[in-house]
Amino acid sequence: MEAKMQIATQTATQTALNTFVHETGAWVASQLEACTRCGMCAEACHFYQATGNPEYAPVWKIELVRRAYEQRFTFGGKMRVAMGLDKPVNDNALEAWSKIVYEACTMCNKCAMVCPMGIQLGPIIHNVRAGLSDAGLVPEDLKTAVRKQEEIGSPLGATDSVYDQRMEWVADEWEVELPMDVKGADTLVVFSSIEIMKFPENIAAIAKILNKAGEKWTLSHKAREVVNFGFYEGNEHLTKLFMQRVFDGARELGVKRILVTECGHAYDALRWTAANIMDVPNVEITHVAGYIWQLVGAGRIKLKQGALDDKGVITFHDACKIQRRGGHIDEPRELLKILAPNAFREMTPNKEQAICCGGGGGVIAIKEADPQRYKVFEMKMEQANRVGAKTVAMFCSNCRLQFTDGVQKYNPPFKVAGMSQLVADSLVE
Amino acid sequence: MSAFTITPVEKGIMRCRHTAPMNHEDVRSLASFLHDYRGKLLVDLTGTTGAECMGNLQQFRPMMPTTAIFGAEIDPTVLEIPESYYTHEVKYFQTEAEALAWLREQ
Repeated sequence: MEAKMQIATQTATQTALNTFVHETGAWVASQLEACTRCGMCAEACHFYQATGNPEYAPVWKIELVRRAYEQRFTFGGKMRVAMGLDKPVNDNALEAWSKIVYEACTMCNKCAMVCPMGIQLGPIIHNVRAGLSDAGLVPEDLKTAVRKQEEIGSPLGATDSVYDQRMEWVADEWEVELPMDVKGADTLVVFSSIEIMKFPENIAAIAKILNKAGEKWTLSHKAREVVNFGFYEGNEHLTKLFMQRVFDGARELGVKRILVTECGHAYDALRWTAANIMDVPNVEITHVAGYIWQLVGAGRIKLKQGALDDKGVITFHDACKIQRRGGHIDEPRELLKILAPNAFREMTPNKEQAICCGGGGGVIAIKEADPQRYKVFEMKMEQANRVGAKTVAMFCSNCRLQFTDGVQKYNPPFKVAGMSQLVADSLVE
Repeated sequence: MSAFTITPVEKGIMRCRHTAPMNHEDVRSLASFLHDYRGKLLVDLTGTTGAECMGNLQQFRPMMPTTAIFGAEIDPTVLEIPESYYTHEVKYFQTEAEALAWLREQ
């Protein structure tokens, strides 16, 4: 029995190492060689800032890949192991790093913003997750959500019938038309499970905006889930499978664009990652944050000037994957200049330099990550309180879930709101 | 007049009493309340029937905070949803005393 377990462990370690080595092409090697271990990335990481734990420094998070690379490909690395100066990667190391990269990293990539060598730490940490995923060392909670998405099409339990029931309920109670499986529509709208289960008003809000704009849009049974828990896990096979469902829906309906709703990681996966790992249909992939502003700019929808000015200070939380990664930094602010020209205040830091809410990258799904997740939220809450916010608005439902949970725990004096809802409530009829 | 009333029970617990069939406006108001509310919920169905509120209970279930329900016979399966990181516990009780006792322990 013991011998069998040892073999299994060795296999896991070897599997992870193989993945690290496989992922270590010239680009990753150049990134690893460029790192001077200056530690500036540590100060940029919200988990390090919130806890002071040196293991949360991004440079340490990529240490596994660095060791695998050096011990396999460099003379110095091989010598250090031979002389006992460096430990070879083993099962204990893998388990330790599993906790670090899944439970204390949201893949927000702010560390890359401050790296003087321009090292893209986020994608390398993703490689660490890929190795751990192949080795079967994914936290149980995250694994459960991933399996649910694989088996029933949704990590949060939105099966085919639940999806239909929820959409019917939203259409009926919010009195909005929700076109389904319309061939030849221009825009395929794909919601996340979080919106479907927890924030159904978001569905109504986006529908109201698109209907008002006269958009030819549709939902799709085939493409009914935009969230990608395979991407969180670092499992390329499942990442592709979940995106394939969306692309199949888009192809089947012949749409011109896929509109990603309030989900950050899904936008990153569909917009950028997909093109590097699979065949992507020839459609525009855009995010609702940018698209709503396009509709305003084109005069297809009009908003009530100052509609939110009498509701106290409103601030905007920048979602890592939508604002920093996706570049939709100006559009929400332009919208807020119309809706709350006098009440809008920026938190500090903001825009590209904003810190993550603490719940992204699958962290919110992992119970064991709660202590550090809440610590990060405390920082975010303090930033909002410093500007006297009565409302914190955002364009990401995962961030919104983290904020809603944090607000429940700490009871700060602000409300949490989805930007699409604020826009929908302020449409000129 | 709204189909539900929200009144405080004690610190951290509010009573949501369902009193009449809900129209669209009521559903939207309740959804909005659930998003902004930060405590635990005591759902009082004494002013309604199980048949009348089951559909809405089922749809509101994923959005509910920690909740104890009592006051009308309902099929407990409408409260069953796949356990997930975003869900809170929601339980059905025969009496208000039982419901409140459980809620206080959460």
